[in-house]
Amino acid sequence: MHMNRRRWISACLAVLTALMLTSCGYEDPKNLISQNEGDERVVNLFSPMEKTDPNAENVARTASDLTVAMAEEALNVTMFYRTYTAESYQEKTYDEICLDRARNNMDDLYLLNPDAVLALGAEGKLQDLSGLDSAKNLREIVRTANTVDGKLVAIPQEVVAYGLFINKDMFAQYSLTLPETPEEFLECCRVFQENGIKTPIGANRWWLETFVFAQAYADLYNGGNTAAEIAALNSGEAKYSDYMRPGFEFLQTLMERGYIDAEKALVSEAIEGEGEDFLAGKTPIVMAYWGAANTETAYGKTDFEMEVIGFPSSRGQMPVIPMTGFAVGAEAEHREDAMRVMDIMVSDEALQIYSETNRVISPSKNIKVDCVPALKPLNDRIEEGVYVLGSNAGMNVEQWGNTCLIVRKLLGGASVDECMAAFDELQDTALKQS
Amino acid sequence: MKETPNKQNRRRGTSLLLSIIFIFGIFGTIVFAVSRRISKEMSEAAIQNLSESLDLIESTIEAILRSEVEFQKLIAQEIARAENPEEYIRVYEKNQIVAKMSLILSGRTEGVSNTGERFTEEDLDFSAGGTILGLPISRSYLNYMGTWSYTIKCPVKRDGEEIATLYAEYVYDAIDQSLPEGFYNKQASLYIMDAESRRFVLKPKGMGQRSAGHLNLNDFYRANNIQDPGIQEEVEACLNSGRNILFYHDIREERALNYMWSVNNGTIFLVGYVPVEAIQQEGRTVNQNIMIVVVSLMTAFFLCIVLYYLSWKQQDKLRKEQETERRLHSQQLAEALHAAQIASESKTMFLSNMSHDIRTPMNAVLGFTTLLAKDAENPAKVREYTKKITASGQHLLRLINDILDVSKIESGKVVLSFEQFALNDVVSSVEAIIQPMAKAKRQEFHLEMTGIQHEYLIGDETRINQILINLLSNAVKYTPEGGHIWFRIIGLKQRSDQYEHIRIEVEDDGYGMTPEYLKTIFDAFTRAENSTTNKVQGTGLGMAITKSIVELMGGTIEVFSEVDHGTLFRVDLELRVLEEAIDRQFWTQRNITHLLEMVGNQESREMIPSLMKDTGVGIDAAANTEEALNLIHGGADYQLVLLDWEDFGLQAVRDLRQELPKAVPIILLAEFSAEGIEEAFQYSPTGILTKPFFVSALRRKIEELWAETDGARGPELKEDSDLKGMHFLAAEDNEINGEILVELLEIEGASCEIVTDGRLAVERFQRSEPGEFDAILMDVQMPVMNGHEAARAIRSLDREDAGNILIIAMTANAFAEDEKAALDAGMDAHVPKPLDMELLKKTIKQFGRQKEKL
Repeated sequence: MHMNRRRWISACLAVLTALMLTSCGYEDPKNLISQNEGDERVVNLFSPMEKTDPNAENVARTASDLTVAMAEEALNVTMFYRTYTAESYQEKTYDEICLDRARNNMDDLYLLNPDAVLALGAEGKLQDLSGLDSAKNLREIVRTANTVDGKLVAIPQEVVAYGLFINKDMFAQYSLTLPETPEEFLECCRVFQENGIKTPIGANRWWLETFVFAQAYADLYNGGNTAAEIAALNSGEAKYSDYMRPGFEFLQTLMERGYIDAEKALVSEAIEGEGEDFLAGKTPIVMAYWGAANTETAYGKTDFEMEVIGFPSSRGQMPVIPMTGFAVGAEAEHREDAMRVMDIMVSDEALQIYSETNRVISPSKNIKVDCVPALKPLNDRIEEGVYVLGSNAGMNVEQWGNTCLIVRKLLGGASVDECMAAFDELQDTALKQS
Repeated sequence: MKETPNKQNRRRGTSLLLSIIFIFGIFGTIVFAVSRRISKEMSEAAIQNLSESLDLIESTIEAILRSEVEFQKLIAQEIARAENPEEYIRVYEKNQIVAKMSLILSGRTEGVSNTGERFTEEDLDFSAGGTILGLPISRSYLNYMGTWSYTIKCPVKRDGEEIATLYAEYVYDAIDQSLPEGFYNKQASLYIMDAESRRFVLKPKGMGQRSAGHLNLNDFYRANNIQDPGIQEEVEACLNSGRNILFYHDIREERALNYMWSVNNGTIFLVGYVPVEAIQQEGRTVNQNIMIVVVSLMTAFFLCIVLYYLSWKQQDKLRKEQETERRLHSQQLAEALHAAQIASESKTMFLSNMSHDIRTPMNAVLGFTTLLAKDAENPAKVREYTKKITASGQHLLRLINDILDVSKIESGKVVLSFEQFALNDVVSSVEAIIQPMAKAKRQEFHLEMTGIQHEYLIGDETRINQILINLLSNAVKYTPEGGHIWFRIIGLKQRSDQYEHIRIEVEDDGYGMTPEYLKTIFDAFTRAENSTTNKVQGTGLGMAITKSIVELMGGTIEVFSEVDHGTLFRVDLELRVLEEAIDRQFWTQRNITHLLEMVGNQESREMIPSLMKDTGVGIDAAANTEEALNLIHGGADYQLVLLDWEDFGLQAVRDLRQELPKAVPIILLAEFSAEGIEEAFQYSPTGILTKPFFVSALRRKIEELWAETDGARGPELKEDSDLKGMHFLAAEDNEINGEILVELLEIEGASCEIVTDGRLAVERFQRSEPGEFDAILMDVQMPVMNGHEAARAIRSLDREDAGNILIIAMTANAFAEDEKAALDAGMDAHVPKPLDMELLKKTIKQFGRQKEKL
């Protein structure tokens, strides 16, 4: 008993002594400022920003952030995130700001829309990325769509496919089958309207052009004669306006019949304008990009059964794929670091994480990921190889940006002929430049 | 009123608990007050800290703006000196400070820019009226570089005359470079807001600040959930007046300080928030440390309480154990004291009783001896007095025997002497004593025996007699005249073949006992005392002796009693069965092979064959006369008939006698007090056997009858019936006793020589001629040499007759063990004092014959 007690007391004293020595043994360093190891390397990234609920997780951003973090960790660089969002439609658009900033070398890395890629690529403002290791994994369609003057000027992290987001419950309510052709689409709209849904299609000032592309290029991209048809357009033998006319006329019809509220669409930002009604079940149809089906801040969580299908065309439901992508400024201050960052952000490893997180189609031919059920119809078409490109750097007239602007003219009251004249003018300018 | 220890403990526990709660309360209040004070001071410190930081940033930005203005004024002066101001502008290269420089000559609306294009003031908005060092500053806008910028216009004066206006465009990115990096460890957010448009013109860079709220003030409100109209109004008022505002608002559930900090008199504002914890990092550590200290103190306090409690509990347990032990001791002491008191009281009372009980007969003895002396000449009176003296003496003797018995039993000195005996002898001797006593009190005495399997048993007959006489005499004593007494002997189921399991019940319908008395009935020195029984004489030791004897025999005794309803004593004993076979010869010699039993009671009828099973005699049972006659007519040859007198009576005797051969005796089983039985004798040969039936009794009766028949009654009893001519040597130290002995022996015609101690006896015997003495009567307790030693000495003498001279112990030590001690000392027999001459004669006769045979 006594031995035990003694042992306990000795152990306690030992612990106490150790604690006292530890607490008293601290020595102040001479220089009180902690020393940083070398200078911090910085890469400025300019990308669009969405307004979000502060507490909601934005999946798309998180996925992108994961790849950015990978690069930061691998290269020991810090990414400075710069952004711009227009307060209203009267202000400069993101694309315009992109152009301004890239032209003035304000940033190192840019996330660009197809029109900006083409414009800046043509101006030689973007760095050729074809030398990157990760560029070798790209699907051919992606490479083609982002090559300007023989240079690979942008690489996307996802193949952005646009489709029609359908409230299936409402279609079922009025016993409507999902439309394949423009005629069937118009019929659906008629039925909805007759049943009190005044404006069956929710639209914004950005994405109505997808209807046009679907009808314009359904045959061009799926008819087996793509290269020759593009060559004819580039040489002036064929006219863009001829391709575009059916789509514009179709939009005209939608507007005339009131299936689209043109005035509202003209001043609405993407998702902000039409999203609320669609989520509330007031509008059965909207158009959006693939990722919107995965993102809670967009249409990732609906109270009804949602399905994403292609746009109506003579060849049935047609996905529209514009190529957004990351580009590096050719004269960027931190160009080399930006290139390295880029190499990591679009590496197979990063794209695997990105695609798994966002469940999107990867630009790498090595990565395949299952999509959410709502996207299955759209994914099936893409997997079949049936789609149209919303942008193609191989065409001498930039498609995505220009068509968007011309659709806005239509929304603003211009006639289809006036719109076609605008295309002709663009083609003429392009022909003259070349 | 004294409190119980439990209550005291509870009170102590409650007050301890209250004290602990009180201490905790005080401690908690102090900790709470200190925490509040610290938190208030920290809050004030945080506000001051943030204000200082923002003031610093404000000063920095204002310094940049001022330096920009100074720079622009210098350029303006240079332009004024230039020959061609517009050319100066055109060739001016853009740099990090100035994004664009333009000039409009006075009187014109269009001018030139260093970027090459035409310049007008149309796109710029100076309407807000903001100035820096007196120069107007435009509203913020997105410039051609896609970044937020502002323009300051400065007049270009030559010789005091304004010749043009210089517009210099500055980008906010330039300010950004001068702002602190990692504002509050990168946890603070910092925007620069154009006051006029409420647009955010400079936003935080880097990861983690992308979620929302970058667009404008409303976007900031929405993103950070600042929806309180009061705050918004206050903010609006401050923005309009160019004042600073700082307010608490939780950002993502984290307490944060939000700020709108005016720069350059409110043209731009610093907007953002800092989590309070980011400002109070050291405060948090301090708080944590305080908490650790508090928790440690609390733990230590708790541990102390627990240790105290455990120690207290252990002490309490010890105390309780000691208390219990002490209480137990006290109780034991009290009990012992009480028992001693009771014993003392009992003994006092006993002595008092004894005194009374001894004095009474002693009084009679002395009284009558006085009368005897007076009336010595009157033989009739002398005889009467001597009779009464004898009775009183016998009572005294009984009393003394009882006292000695109790004393022996209590000291564990009683030894049972196991001998063969017949139950019949016990019952008949007891009955012979009790029956007359009962009769004297006109009580009805019933003797019943059932289920007994064996009659011959081994046990201490004397002690069994004592038990029965004690119980029965008590029953007689404590039952009023005309009452009933039942004496039952019941054979219970044998637990072993070798043991007869007997239950003895003595029941009366007498006075009964109170439950209180029942509890002490078996205690020594107690006696039922009440008005009814006071007249009953007794030693008060009978029941104690009885119980002790019963228990000594391995039996049990129970008593059931109710006042005025009587008492039942129940004694259960197991007595060993005599293993030796009963002499069958007795029956064969007399040619008794068949016996007719005519008993009405079935139990008794069945018991007789059971008791006689070892005799080899065949028994036929008849339940009535008719059956009996049928058996006789059936040709059965009976040598004996047993007939229950109470059940069948004279008529049955008559009927049987007519049918039976004349030589066959009819033995009547009758109660002790059977009436009219004499008439049956006319139908001889007839005999009477007192119930209950015993084989031994039957044998004796048969012997009698056969003897009568043979006409040969032995004169044995008369032979050697006295001590005439015998000469004794008696060792007796008490002179009176010696004298009495001499006198008594002389009455019997014998002579006696008295010596006063053992040694003298030995010497006298040594000196005697062979055959001079017929026997030596030896007292035991004597001076010089006691009886036992003397007997041993005599036996060891070198004389022919030393070994066989009859030595009879004659002592007041009258117990079995005394007898045993005497025999062990070499004596032949033991006769207790006071001397019973009949017993002496019988003993001398018995042992004398044995010696003769030798």
